[in-house]
Amino acid sequence: MNNALWVYVQLNGQKVEPTSLQLITKARQIAEGRPVVALLAEDLTTNAEETVKEYGPDEIIVLKDDHFTQPTDGELADALFQVVSANTPNGLLFPATVQGRSVAPRLQAKLRTGLTADCLDVYYDGEDLIQVKPTYGDDIMCEILCPDHRPQMATVRPNTFNAEKVTGANVKITTATFTFHSEANIEVVSEKPIISSSANIADAKIVVALGRGADNDKTIALAEKAAAKLGGMVGVSRPLTDNPKFSHESQIGQSGNTIAPDLLINLGVSGAVQYTVGIENAGKVVSVNTDDKAPIFAVSDFGYVGTANEFLEALVNDIK
Amino acid sequence: MKIVVCIKQVPVGAVKIDPETHNLVRSNVEGDINPYDRNAIEAAIQLKEQAGGEVILLSMGPDSYISSLRDGLAMGADSAVLLSSRAFGGADTLATAYTLAAGIKKIGNVDLILFGRQSVDADTGQVGPIVAEDLAIPQITFAENIELHDHNVLVVKRLLDSAVQEVKVTLPAVVSVRAELNQPRYENPLNIQTSFEKSVTIWSEKDLDLDNSQIGQAGSPTVVRKVYAPDKATKQMEQLPTHASKAVTQLLSELNN
Ligand SMILES: Cc1cc2nc3c(=O)[nH]c(=O)nc-3n(C[C@H](O)[C@H](O)[C@H](O)COP(=O)(O)OP(=O)(O)OC[C@H]3O[C@@H](n4cnc5c(N)ncnc54)[C@H](O)[C@@H]3O)c2cc1C
Ligand SMILES: Nc1ncnc2c1ncn2[C@@H]1O[C@H](COP(=O)(O)O)[C@@H](O)[C@H]1O
Repeated sequence: MNNALWVYVQLNGQKVEPTSLQLITKARQIAEGRPVVALLAEDLTTNAEETVKEYGPDEIIVLKDDHFTQPTDGELADALFQVVSANTPNGLLFPATVQGRSVAPRLQAKLRTGLTADCLDVYYDGEDLIQVKPTYGDDIMCEILCPDHRPQMATVRPNTFNAEKVTGANVKITTATFTFHSEANIEVVSEKPIISSSANIADAKIVVALGRGADNDKTIALAEKAAAKLGGMVGVSRPLTDNPKFSHESQIGQSGNTIAPDLLINLGVSGAVQYTVGIENAGKVVSVNTDDKAPIFAVSDFGYVGTANEFLEALVNDIK
Repeated sequence: MKIVVCIKQVPVGAVKIDPETHNLVRSNVEGDINPYDRNAIEAAIQLKEQAGGEVILLSMGPDSYISSLRDGLAMGADSAVLLSSRAFGGADTLATAYTLAAGIKKIGNVDLILFGRQSVDADTGQVGPIVAEDLAIPQITFAENIELHDHNVLVVKRLLDSAVQEVKVTLPAVVSVRAELNQPRYENPLNIQTSFEKSVTIWSEKDLDLDNSQIGQAGSPTVVRKVYAPDKATKQMEQLPTHASKAVTQLLSELNN
């Protein structure tokens, strides 16, 4: 058993998932003297430790094997289990991405320890890693801990923390000893990167967000035009994911994406908590709503009381 | 094909914190099937329509969950099993999955176990992968398309964070499904009627092969320390003029500063 705080570094192809870097910075801030260790599984042609190093973990443990180009969840969990159980760190953080939310519970089951999903904050109180997550969809947060089992595991929501580079950090790089076990009966046939036209809303610098009050073809077309002119993306509240035009991928909020744009324009969004938790890290927030008492105004820098349509028409007209 | 669909009942309506006692109060004690689990039931029925076989619903929870199991039967599932006992109470995802896995072993010869992507109350999506590990079979999470090849091979499309993956699995396996997979069918009057003739079996820990230290609260490594309503950060908002074009002009000039 050791007292280190480990962070799993996810790779998307050969690129490091940004949430992992955010978690290394966060881990350094909360570690209270515990070593911060990045755990990385990559194929022989990838050198993600070069990127990870810049964020200043104390150590990077690298699992190298050519099967890591396209591993199954089970294979990844098995390989990580060998290294994690040989060290039993104090804490182990995963990004709450699709991969993190699939592999972490499988690993948890092997370790027979606790795992808290989709945390918005983590910090130490003595030896306990306090894991803060929203629950019951409503206005409710809970603090979960895992007093008697190690590691204390959590997946943490993307874009909740900033990643910060560290200059001149002394990073030890260790190659892990493990054996890759291929999983029977399952095979990843192909993995195709999603081309960035459907770029991730979570990374967009400008977001035009549509809610139920903007759910008509005319307004949607105007919003798309405005987003294109501004160089931004269109996002939606949950009810609009029922519109065939949109999918879960562009949903903002608790069960969608956390976004952190410099500018967010909300149109016809009431401002339910499940929506607003997803926009807490936005820079300037502009909201348009016909109801001057809509809760969205309480989290906005600029408010316009009126219809989404009239506002968008004026906006599309005004931006060059 | 023998398919088990794990379904959870979730509270309908808002859940609030009592300002005095700091306990959760459910404004409405009624429950409904976790919406994503309806997608899992739909996927199961479609596979049965293609391959034949049976669809069994499985849930762990109090007896009040029977109403959701009946709803799932009314969608077209064949039978249901409820794992119900005081001893299962207070379970976190690890203990819940352990108990469900024991139920699946008792059902026996299951080819496919389907889950919703996550429950809307606990919101973890962990139970499916833990069950897969406990049964030592492959998992495919976040499925958004499922094709049946041969009688025991599935090709599943899975949307990752920045890639689309195609995964081929020979059953038995665990698959958890996204809402994009399908449109769950409505319960029709005939199915509602026949749902009351279908069997709902209840098993307690005595019926299952279990290690009692792994179930309920004892088998749950996590502890909820505190539940609270967060203080919402509010901003100082500037109200824009009522005239839309004036509003936009003012906004753009202030944003550019
Ligand atoms: C477990 C759980 C998870 C959830 N996760 C999410 C999530 O991730 N994301 C999410 O968004 N929701 C989520 N929800 C749903 C959430 O509670 C709200 O129901 C949802 O956000 C409401 O969306 P809305 O603001 O678009 O619609 P509404 O609440 O219906 O608001 C529409 C608004 O539009 C205004 N309006 C009407 N006409 C016009 C017009 N012509 N011009 C301008 N304004 C107009 C109205 O005044 C109103 O304020 C979740 C719910 C649960 C229970
Ligand atoms: N008590 C339960 N009984 C049966 N299935 C469950 C239970 N809890 C969770 N599940 C299943 O596991 C999925 C993920 O739930 P969760 O891990 O709680 O987000 C749900 O969509 C259900 O399919």
